[in-house]
Amino acid sequence: MSDAALLAHPARLRAANLARTLVCLGLLGVVVALLTLVFGRAGERIAVQMCVNVAAVVALGVFCGNTGTVSFGHGAFMAIGAYLSGILTMPASVQRSALPALPGFLAGHELSLWMALPVVALAGLVFAALSGAAIARLVGASAAIASLGLLIITHGVAVGAREITRGSQTFFGVPRVVDLPLAFGAAVAFIIVARAYRESAMGLFSRAARDDADAAAALGINPRRTRFVGWCLSGALCAVAGALYGHMLGAFSPASFYLSLVFAHIAMMIVGGMASVGGAVAGVIGVTLLQDGVRQFEGGGDLLGFALPAVFGLTTVALGLAILLVIWLRPMGLVGSFELGPGAGARIFDRITARTVPAASPPPVPDAILVAEGLSKSFAGVKAVVDMSFEAPTGRVTGLIGPNGAGKSTLVNLITRQYAADAGRTLLSGRDLGKISREAVARAGISRSFQNLRLFRGLTVYENVLVAALAAGHRGRDAAAVTLRELDAFDLGALAATRAEALPYGARKRLEVARSLVQDPAILLLDEPAAGMNPAETDDLADRLIRIRDTRGIGILLIDHDLRFVNRLSNWTVVMNRGTLIAQGRPEDVRADPAVIEAYIGRGRTAAAVAATEEETTPRQGVRQ
Amino acid sequence: MTFRTLLLTTTSAMVLAGAAGAEDYVIGVMSAQSGYLAPYDGPAYAGFQFCIDKMNANGGLNGTHPVRTIVKDTRSDIAEGVKVVQEMIDDGAQFIVSSADADPTIAAAQITMADGIPTMTFAGTAPVLTQVGDHVFGSYPADNQQAAVLAAYAREQGFAKVYLVKSPDSAYTLGGPEYFGTAFEALGGTIVGTSNYSLNQPDFSAIVTTIKAAEPQPDVIVTWAWEPDFPAFIKALRGAGVATQVMGGDVLDTPTVRGLGDVVDGVMHTSGGFPDEGSAYAGFIAEFTAATGTTPDNNYYVNGCDIAHMIEQAVAAAGTTEPRAVAAAMAGIENGKGVMSDFTFKGTDRMPLREVVVARITGAGDKEFVLRATADPATLPRP
Repeated sequence: MSDAALLAHPARLRAANLARTLVCLGLLGVVVALLTLVFGRAGERIAVQMCVNVAAVVALGVFCGNTGTVSFGHGAFMAIGAYLSGILTMPASVQRSALPALPGFLAGHELSLWMALPVVALAGLVFAALSGAAIARLVGASAAIASLGLLIITHGVAVGAREITRGSQTFFGVPRVVDLPLAFGAAVAFIIVARAYRESAMGLFSRAARDDADAAAALGINPRRTRFVGWCLSGALCAVAGALYGHMLGAFSPASFYLSLVFAHIAMMIVGGMASVGGAVAGVIGVTLLQDGVRQFEGGGDLLGFALPAVFGLTTVALGLAILLVIWLRPMGLVGSFELGPGAGARIFDRITARTVPAASPPPVPDAILVAEGLSKSFAGVKAVVDMSFEAPTGRVTGLIGPNGAGKSTLVNLITRQYAADAGRTLLSGRDLGKISREAVARAGISRSFQNLRLFRGLTVYENVLVAALAAGHRGRDAAAVTLRELDAFDLGALAATRAEALPYGARKRLEVARSLVQDPAILLLDEPAAGMNPAETDDLADRLIRIRDTRGIGILLIDHDLRFVNRLSNWTVVMNRGTLIAQGRPEDVRADPAVIEAYIGRGRTAAAVAATEEETTPRQGVRQ
Repeated sequence: MTFRTLLLTTTSAMVLAGAAGAEDYVIGVMSAQSGYLAPYDGPAYAGFQFCIDKMNANGGLNGTHPVRTIVKDTRSDIAEGVKVVQEMIDDGAQFIVSSADADPTIAAAQITMADGIPTMTFAGTAPVLTQVGDHVFGSYPADNQQAAVLAAYAREQGFAKVYLVKSPDSAYTLGGPEYFGTAFEALGGTIVGTSNYSLNQPDFSAIVTTIKAAEPQPDVIVTWAWEPDFPAFIKALRGAGVATQVMGGDVLDTPTVRGLGDVVDGVMHTSGGFPDEGSAYAGFIAEFTAATGTTPDNNYYVNGCDIAHMIEQAVAAAGTTEPRAVAAAMAGIENGKGVMSDFTFKGTDRMPLREVVVARITGAGDKEFVLRATADPATLPRP
């Protein structure tokens, strides 16, 4: 990618996001048009049901797709929406006979659907906020099971609240007002909202936390908050979708929103691809066309001169086979994990030349100092870090070395509060980091990279850096400008539109450092940034880090096994062994320290021998333990 | 290309389907051939189509109106049901036979209401399903009728204290015991306890323990539980040494329940009919078996056939196939002739008044006839 292309990337990304939204809408519009034009009223009804399902599945995907957690609880929101809208819109005469014991505050409103929907959305939002306060604390299978519990509880309450819902009996008299324009309009609105959320700052945070919660937290993103926001938006949308579903049916019962419906929607979402809005749309369309296509032949009849026997149940068999095939051939769904439509790097956007000027290198950071005081941590009785104290001021590269298992990474995790220290504290210019949240550590001025690469694999290179910039408080063009600055500084511009998981190893390492630096930290913790790099890549990285230290004045705490790399950069070296501090000082002094020699190569060797050994190993790029 | 082929072939099928004779009486059949309603809709549809075919062989309804059926699978999905009933109306359906449950029937009835198209459930027994409009009909003895007959029988046998086991998860499993309790109390009996269970609940030991500890002890236990809940319940009950008489709804009238052996010995249940030797019902079974190779083992087959007879008699009484006239004529039928039993719509809320059979299961897996009675409309528990 040329410089011009890199500078145009933010504009092209905006265009790509718009194009992807239009692709979703276009796909739905084309299928709806075909159904109605070719099949007339029958096709129109299929289209209405399909559009309502698109709304429901897209709403479901707002949470599931952006957090990676499958929810079974969204049937609860649909039930709330359907019953509430049904009660608010039901003719009073029908209400008196169908719901004679309805509480007075709910009775006799006779609202139009348009008046009822905002109330429904608000009710969904409130219910989502209440339930999300608990469910957003959970991840993975725990969250999925908790959402199933929510569905079961809501189902039980709906069955028990006979005065309001008629219990397990059919709730009827709901005006059937959902026609094609309304259903299609709702589906369009839901797609636009879901797409806008997905590409918003919160949507990016959510997808980053989905891909790696610890890395996101290290950037200052609160994974729990992203799940909560996604849950609330998804719940409110699902409640509206439930209202539309109820007004499409006209009559329903709690069972209408229970496991069968939930599983059908989840199946549609997974068939299409859970990670994207386009996947949800494609899943609903694919399943609808498959089922309604096969359904035409279930009852038998003639097909091109051949008499077909009646084979009922064919739709279920076809759907089951389709799900099996999709999971087998395309585990990420029909669409995969990227959105439908062209990405920012597509040639179709080459004509977009609007440039974003990269931000200038930030001014040197104010003087600050990271101080570890007596940090200790044990795991099941094993002492990983014991009474570690050292300092890492700005303007200096502090090397942290030690044999494998010395406790270096644990120490970094204690500083960034990924682990809670058993004893001791960490101060940044006198501010106790133990008294702020884990996510606030980044905002306090400490960024980090990880020993094992922890990129957001579902995001592009540009988005990986952009999300960190947004987390640091940059917005809009400013966020884009600082992102371009770091991509340029680490020669990642040509890869801006590439997905992180598709990068070569060295580029991934550079990307992780760039992601940390875009947050303008005072102290940068680099955990083995050169691991796995070849000598040229290592030298290149060292040059870049020296430049950054000199121009931005940040402090770097550098952990690496490559002693040549550490020695070249460090002004100060801290040595750990078996969790404890065994030496610290200027690199040349530390290298001659008998305790360090013993830790690295064993008892009985002399400093001279060590020096000789180091001379021999230097061409091989350091000592690996 | 594949999609285009699909569109073309589907269009062709639809055109062919719409090319039937214009003078036919068109009946749309919502039949769940898969899903939870399939065990009821499947036999009911088989019996219905069997008798419609017989009628068509003789010129159609009353020998004058050939019947064309439009049969669509709803997959027990209410949204699918809504869609197919609209399609059937588009295709000219003048009568809708809906699935054997209240939800799809009421959803369909709200659609057919505009044109007054008579809508009859295959075997839905919830009395409330006809509340939607004057064009909605039941076909099977309603839950409150079954419960009233069973309660009267229980009181006649001297039972005075009943324990109700019900599930709020469905109108049937909740309504049956509650109707029984209402009728039982009206006849001087007492409800000594109530327990709720969840559908597909695997363990009934807690409920059995509660029943054992009930004070005073019941002399009869009533539940409208179906499979697999009833087998689990009765095994737990008998396993705990509770020998109290158990009574249930018509859903116990299945070979599976009768095959449970000693634990169901003596269990009594309601039923829509009983194929006495030499009866029209027994004749239907023999005829159906000879024609299809399948022996009807539940009442849904014959009730499906009776729906055909109900439609035939309503069209005859109306003197026209105009939907509103047929619906009005159906509502006025008194002592209509059926195979399972006769039926009366006149004076009811369109859930037909029909005989209810009480039967007893034996340990050998047989079903014994106990009595046949019709509930008194004046004392029926209200929905």
